Amino acid sequence: MIKHAGFQLSSKVVAVAIAVLLAAVWRHYQPPNRDIAFPAGEIRIGVDGSYPPFAFDEAGSLTGLDIELGEAIAAEIGLPVRFVNLSFYGLYDALKTGAVDLLIAALRVDQARTAHVRYTEAYFDDGLVLVSASDNQSISAEALSNTAIAYEYASRADSQIGLWEGDGQEIARRPYELSTYALDALRLGQAEAALVDATTLRLYVRERREWQHQHQFVSREPYAIAVRIDRDEVFKLVDRALSTLKESGEIARIVTKWF
Amino acid sequence: MSAKSSASPPVKDAAKRQRRSILVIIGLLLLFALVFRLRPAPGDLLPAEARVVETAKPHVCVHTLLENEVEEKKILRSLELVRELGATTIVQFFPWAYVEREDDQFDWWHADRILRHVEGQGLRVIARLGLAPNWLNEDPGATLNTLPETAFPKFAQYAAAFAERYAGTVDEIIIWNEPNLSFEWGYQPVDAGRYVRLLQETYPAIKAANPAAVVLAGALAPTLEGRGSSAGLNDLDFLRDMYAAGAGDYFDALAIHSYGLKEPPSAEPAENRLNIRLAELLREIMLENGDEQKQASITEGGWNDHPRWAHALRPSQRSAFTVEAFEYVEAHWAWLERLCLWAFRYPADLNSYPDNYTLVSANFVLKPIYYALQDYARGWEREEVLWLPPPETK
Repeated sequence: MIKHAGFQLSSKVVAVAIAVLLAAVWRHYQPPNRDIAFPAGEIRIGVDGSYPPFAFDEAGSLTGLDIELGEAIAAEIGLPVRFVNLSFYGLYDALKTGAVDLLIAALRVDQARTAHVRYTEAYFDDGLVLVSASDNQSISAEALSNTAIAYEYASRADSQIGLWEGDGQEIARRPYELSTYALDALRLGQAEAALVDATTLRLYVRERREWQHQHQFVSREPYAIAVRIDRDEVFKLVDRALSTLKESGEIARIVTKWF
Repeated sequence: MSAKSSASPPVKDAAKRQRRSILVIIGLLLLFALVFRLRPAPGDLLPAEARVVETAKPHVCVHTLLENEVEEKKILRSLELVRELGATTIVQFFPWAYVEREDDQFDWWHADRILRHVEGQGLRVIARLGLAPNWLNEDPGATLNTLPETAFPKFAQYAAAFAERYAGTVDEIIIWNEPNLSFEWGYQPVDAGRYVRLLQETYPAIKAANPAAVVLAGALAPTLEGRGSSAGLNDLDFLRDMYAAGAGDYFDALAIHSYGLKEPPSAEPAENRLNIRLAELLREIMLENGDEQKQASITEGGWNDHPRWAHALRPSQRSAFTVEAFEYVEAHWAWLERLCLWAFRYPADLNSYPDNYTLVSANFVLKPIYYALQDYARGWEREEVLWLPPPETK
C-alpha cells in the first residue's frame, strides 16, 4: 500500500493510472492513421480554379501554386489526390458537408471560422509590403510623414495609409488605378515608396528581375490549409506533411516557381 | 492640539456626511446619464423625418448585406450611402436561421432594426429569404443551406410571418437563393421539381399573410453546368424545368442573377456564354410559357475588379461596363424593373476576390464604381479625378 497525505491507494489503481497515462502518451505520439483520415483511399482537396497564380485552368486542367502544394502533400502522405473545383462561396460548406477533406484555396486564416475549421501553419503571406528603392535607407513604416507613397486607389493599401494618417503621419498620397502602376511609379522615381500586396510585388518582380528594391511587411495575411475541426487525423497528417515539405525546402521551391 | 480641531460637533459631521453623500449620488447620476447618452437607445440614430432618395434612375438598386452587420451606426452609414448613391431599392437578405433560432420562437430584433433604417432613408426593399436554422438538421454535415422537404411547411410559416409583419414595408420577397446550385441545397443534387414544391408551399402562405406581396422566384445562378453535373444545372434548363413542374402559378416575378464577367454589356447572349444579356434568354423562356405579363428584376449582377481573379476587369472598365449596363436596361428592357448590383458592402472583408464586387469597402472607403454609378443615377458630371495617370514606362 502507498500512503500519502491521508490517502491510501492500492498499487493496482496506481498501475492502471500509469497504464492509462502511458497509453495516452503513446497514442499522442503515434502517427495518425491514413486509413481513418481518408477512408476513400484518396485525398479530396477543394480548390478555387479561378484565382491565378494559386489555382487556374490551363488547357483544360488545373494548375498553380495551390495545386502543386496539394500534389506535394498528397505525395508526402502517400495517397492519390483529387481536386474539386469550387467557387469561393462554396468552399467552407464543401468542407462542412464532407464533400472535400481539406481546402487549399489561397484562404487567409479567418479567426471567425475557428470554431468549425482548423488551419495549418501558413504556407504563404499576402500581407501588405512597403517597397522602396534599395538605396533608400530612410523609408520605414514608423516614420512616413512627407513620404510620397504610391498605391492602388480604394485598395487595402489605401485603407492602411488612412490608418497611418490617423496616427498623425502626413503621407504624400500618390493614388493609381492599379497596384502595378504604383510599382511603376516607384521604379521610375515618381514616388519614394509603394504600398502593395505581396502577391502583386512578387509577380511584378518576376517580370523585372533586374529591378533593385527592398521591402518590409506592414501587415500579415497568412494563407493556410483548412480542415474540418472534428477531423483530427486529417489535420495531423496534413500539418505534418506541410512541416516536412517546409523543412525540405519543397514549399519554398513551389512558391518560387510560381513567382 | 486644541479640542476644537480634534473633535467637531457631531451634528456638523453628520451634515457634512450628508452633503458628501448627496454629491456622490449626483455624480453617479451624471455618470449614468453620460454613459446612457453615449449608448443610443434603438431608434436614436433615425432621422427625424424619412429621407428622400434623389435620383434620375429609379432602376438603380444594390444588394446589401446588413444581416451580418452588428453595429447600428454602420447599418445607418451603409444605408445613407445607398441613398446618396441614388439607388431607390436594396435587396436585403433576412436569414430564417437568424430569426427562428428555436422552433416557433421568432426574434425579429435585427430585422426590425435594419428595416427601421431602410424606411428612415426612404429606400424600398426586396427581401431575400433563406438559410435553414440548425435545429432542423441533426446531421453535423448539414449546412445552413440544407433544407429537407419535410421542412418546407416550416419555411413557408417563416415566410408568411415575415410577409405579415413587414407588409407595407417589404412587399417583394425572393424565395430561396440560386436553387440550381447544389451548394445552395447543402451540396445535395439540384432538382427543379423540389424547388417548385417549395414555391407551392410558400407562395400561398405569403399571399395569405400579405395579399399585396410580390413573390419573386428563381434567383438562379448563372452557370453553364449541364444535366448530370454534381455542381448544379444551368439557369436556362433549370427555369425550363421549373415551368414544366408547374412553377408558373407560384410566382409573380422572376429574380435573375446576371454577371458580366469579362464581357461588356453589349455582348450577345448565347446558351453557352455567361454575360449580362443572358437575362434576355431567361426572359424568352418566360414568354414561351405565357408569362409576358410578369416583370423581372436582376437581383444580383455586376462586374468584379480584382487584380488577379480570372473573370475580373480593371476598375475603370468595371465602372464603364456597369454604367453601360444600366443604360442598356433603360433603353431595351421594359420588362426589367431593377438592376441590383452585388454587393454594396461586406460587414467584414472576405480577404479574397469577392471583396472586389463591392461598391464600398468594409471600412467605408468608396470605390471608383460608387462614384461612377452615383454620377449616372443622379445626373452628375464629376470633374474630380480619382487617380494619377499611369506612369510613363517607356
